[in-house]
Amino acid sequence: VVAAAAAFLPRTELGRLFEALVADGRRVIGPTVVDGAVVYDELASPAELPYGWRAETAPGIYRLEPSGRERAFDYTIGVTAWKRYTHPSIVPLSRAHREGNQVVVESVADAPPRLAFFGARACELAALAIQVRAMRAGPLGDADHAARRDAALVVAVECATSTNTCFCTSMGTGPEVDGGADIVLSELEAGFVVRTASDAGAAIVDGLELRPAAPSEKDRVAAQVAAVRTAIGDPVPTEGLPTRLRAALDHPRWAEVADRCLACANCTLVCPTCFCTSVTVASDLDNIDGTTERTWDSCFSAGFGRVAGDANFRPKVRDRYRQWLTHKFSTWWDQFGSTGCVGCGRCIAWCPVGIDVREELLAIAPAGAPSPPIPWPVSPAQGRAPAPLAVVGPATHVTATVRSVTFETLDTATLHLATSDAALLGARPGQFVMAELPGFAIPPISISRIEPDGLALTIRSVGPATAALTGLTPGAEVSLRGPLGRGWPVDAAFGHDVVIVAGGIGLAPLRPLIDAVLADRPRFGAVRLYLGARTPRDRLFVAEMSALASRADVEVAEIVDRAGPEWFGRVGVVTQLFDQATWDGSRAIAFMCGPERMMQATASTLERLGVRPAATWLTLERNMACGVGTCGHCQLGPFFVCRDGPVFSLAELGTAFGREGL
Amino acid sequence: MVASLPTEPGRHSPRAAAAKRPRIGVVKFASCDGCQLTILDLEDELLAIAEKVEIVEFAEATSRRSAGPFDVLFVEGSISTPDQVEEIARLRAVTRLLVTIGACATAGGIQAIRNWLDHEQVRHAVYPEPAFVDSLAMAHPVADFVHVDAELRGCPISPGQLREFLIALVTGRRPQLPDEAVCLECKRRGVVCVAVARGIPCLGPVTRTGCGALCPAYGRGCYGCFGPRESANTGALAAWLADGRTTAEVGRLFAGFTAWSAPFRTVIDAHGGPPGMTPEPSETTDA
Repeated sequence: VVAAAAAFLPRTELGRLFEALVADGRRVIGPTVVDGAVVYDELASPAELPYGWRAETAPGIYRLEPSGRERAFDYTIGVTAWKRYTHPSIVPLSRAHREGNQVVVESVADAPPRLAFFGARACELAALAIQVRAMRAGPLGDADHAARRDAALVVAVECATSTNTCFCTSMGTGPEVDGGADIVLSELEAGFVVRTASDAGAAIVDGLELRPAAPSEKDRVAAQVAAVRTAIGDPVPTEGLPTRLRAALDHPRWAEVADRCLACANCTLVCPTCFCTSVTVASDLDNIDGTTERTWDSCFSAGFGRVAGDANFRPKVRDRYRQWLTHKFSTWWDQFGSTGCVGCGRCIAWCPVGIDVREELLAIAPAGAPSPPIPWPVSPAQGRAPAPLAVVGPATHVTATVRSVTFETLDTATLHLATSDAALLGARPGQFVMAELPGFAIPPISISRIEPDGLALTIRSVGPATAALTGLTPGAEVSLRGPLGRGWPVDAAFGHDVVIVAGGIGLAPLRPLIDAVLADRPRFGAVRLYLGARTPRDRLFVAEMSALASRADVEVAEIVDRAGPEWFGRVGVVTQLFDQATWDGSRAIAFMCGPERMMQATASTLERLGVRPAATWLTLERNMACGVGTCGHCQLGPFFVCRDGPVFSLAELGTAFGREGL
Repeated sequence: MVASLPTEPGRHSPRAAAAKRPRIGVVKFASCDGCQLTILDLEDELLAIAEKVEIVEFAEATSRRSAGPFDVLFVEGSISTPDQVEEIARLRAVTRLLVTIGACATAGGIQAIRNWLDHEQVRHAVYPEPAFVDSLAMAHPVADFVHVDAELRGCPISPGQLREFLIALVTGRRPQLPDEAVCLECKRRGVVCVAVARGIPCLGPVTRTGCGALCPAYGRGCYGCFGPRESANTGALAAWLADGRTTAEVGRLFAGFTAWSAPFRTVIDAHGGPPGMTPEPSETTDA
């Protein structure tokens, strides 16, 4: 609520505002000149503001030039966004300690510093709000981000100048300051017109006992911001842009821009809304004490789309650039209900080879281009009712104890874990946990059985972290976060035939579903299991599956890719199991998990048998690092696979399923 | 991708790692010993590490010598003589995990600049009696001759990455050695981009991180001592740098410690070779 009355703060008394902020227990962070650029750093007094400087920017170029007038805020925006203070580049996450079998993992949460952001512009206020929505979306928010943002008081400055990389006008975020701040300053030669926009801001300003701003002063402020709007114009027509971009996923320009793009990640790190991070793990020499921290990362990094076994979902720079641009201007709307771009132009100026996002947008998704409805995944928000909230926070670590270990194959073991944690025991089929041992990477692991007093995790040893987990012995402890993600929609299968298709380790997340179906067997029609494995020795849960095969009310068909003389069953790929199928797919609900190529082939086969896309459910593998939708790694079009999935229906995924590089 | 030790399933567990102290060797070929000194610079930690591993060969630090076998062998230096070709093959045969350290071993080093020159001319220019010198026509990265399991880049290597590698080795986890651009470190630190704000040519966008953005933090451009990162688009950077610079100047920017790495070499070749080979710069390439 912007107070109607505006006051006037003479330039010579700006120090009093500083003092009032300090008296409020705050450190003042504001613009100052460092190494030839304006950065946001701690200020001791207004004397450190960038008086007399303006920024000249162009694609790939930033220079401070004398502005020719003694104003503090002619520089437009700083190099680094305020996210450095709300979403620091390195944040400690957890501390782990191992003592013999015992493992304790605790989240690390420092009390956030009490700051005043001095000089935030309209585009930056929009960015702060957008990042808040991103970090608090979904069932689990990010407590660290929330605490830091809430602890900051924002003194905004309305722009009196612009540079040629500004395009806030197109993105609807500026230049006028409209909410999002506690105090709003507009700079004139002799001082500042001051508006207050929150009770906290009013309390600070009231204490200064300023005279009201004169009508002429308010008029000049209005005129100078209007001049900024005119100067910027409307360089990026945004009408229909999200759908125009969706329709242009195969545009040849993506490959052309990739030829120029260095994939250096600068655009994302200077972006005031980009929030993606990676988790890094450190330990001492004995792996007794471990720590994790999260650091700024970027969808331009090779590791971003990488999963166990070194497969990479976005191997090409083309894929990464497309992910960034479509996320900012299209899928952000699906995820968070707003644009992900505020038009600050940092990505243009700080691109070392001067790639101009405005130019790329106009080339890839030109204004007025037809935007036909395309079978793109529906927005997570529209597509279905929100999943019931998980009842643990992302920082909640629960210790579970290994009760026994079953070796399923040469490289796969099932840990039977005892826990009394209500949230874990309430897990639904298809959910997963993040499993942590001090010093090791933290993999997402599907729950392979939900027991009255514990959980089973079936883990294939593909690297050191999974090897350490499968190497645990009875009595050893492991730290878990979860249950996470959306499970299989068991209820949706009531009254229907059930088709379950598993490839290799993919049987693990399906087993709790099988358990649930069998526990309530009369409520389902025919139950058919189709199981594939690489070799006979790679089959999972062999005794259990044999027992199922002997039941009259369950059909089990198995096939292996390769086999020696010891195997009397079928050899080939899973889809071959459907060769003789005569059942009517229109009455069936299908659930599948396995390598993505296998699921693509199976999806086609199921469709041929009449199973509807909305009745075909699968679980996707992506690089899930945080498990709660805030690290950004596992995005697939509008989805965060960890939070919105990993279970999806084919209808939800639409053309996103199996699309290369998405 | 970096291999880890041991490699059998289930053997990554802390118990398995602790059960056996890996035998470690450090050897050098054509190099300045700077990377070996980085190992010694770990000082206090080195003692703790030495309790976890058995250092059986490290000429810079100990008089103990070993012909192998080695669980892990750190190899410094480029392969520049016929004898070295034989020796690296012998070492490979007695080593489980061969780790090259530094720009010389991983990319050929600064001495690989001679790879563009006539071998005989170089010999005569450097040695009064070249007949006594038995050298290869080129200075090679170790991987030109034997399989390399892991690399620690840099000139010299980073103590932080070395520490991470050693801890991962003894604890049995995968070392976290990012293959991303220097730019990410620069931005995380809040360093103002020297390329954009001051027009200083910087190889950061195409160079692998690990140094902590050391040069840009001191107002210098990155000169690529960690060598090319994953997906290094050196051609696009060279094209951008051509504005206002001569062909020779652009080529020279890439002709440093990792000049012989393929992505940098390609740019150097396209710009007339390294300094000394290039015609006197007169025409500019911006057009």
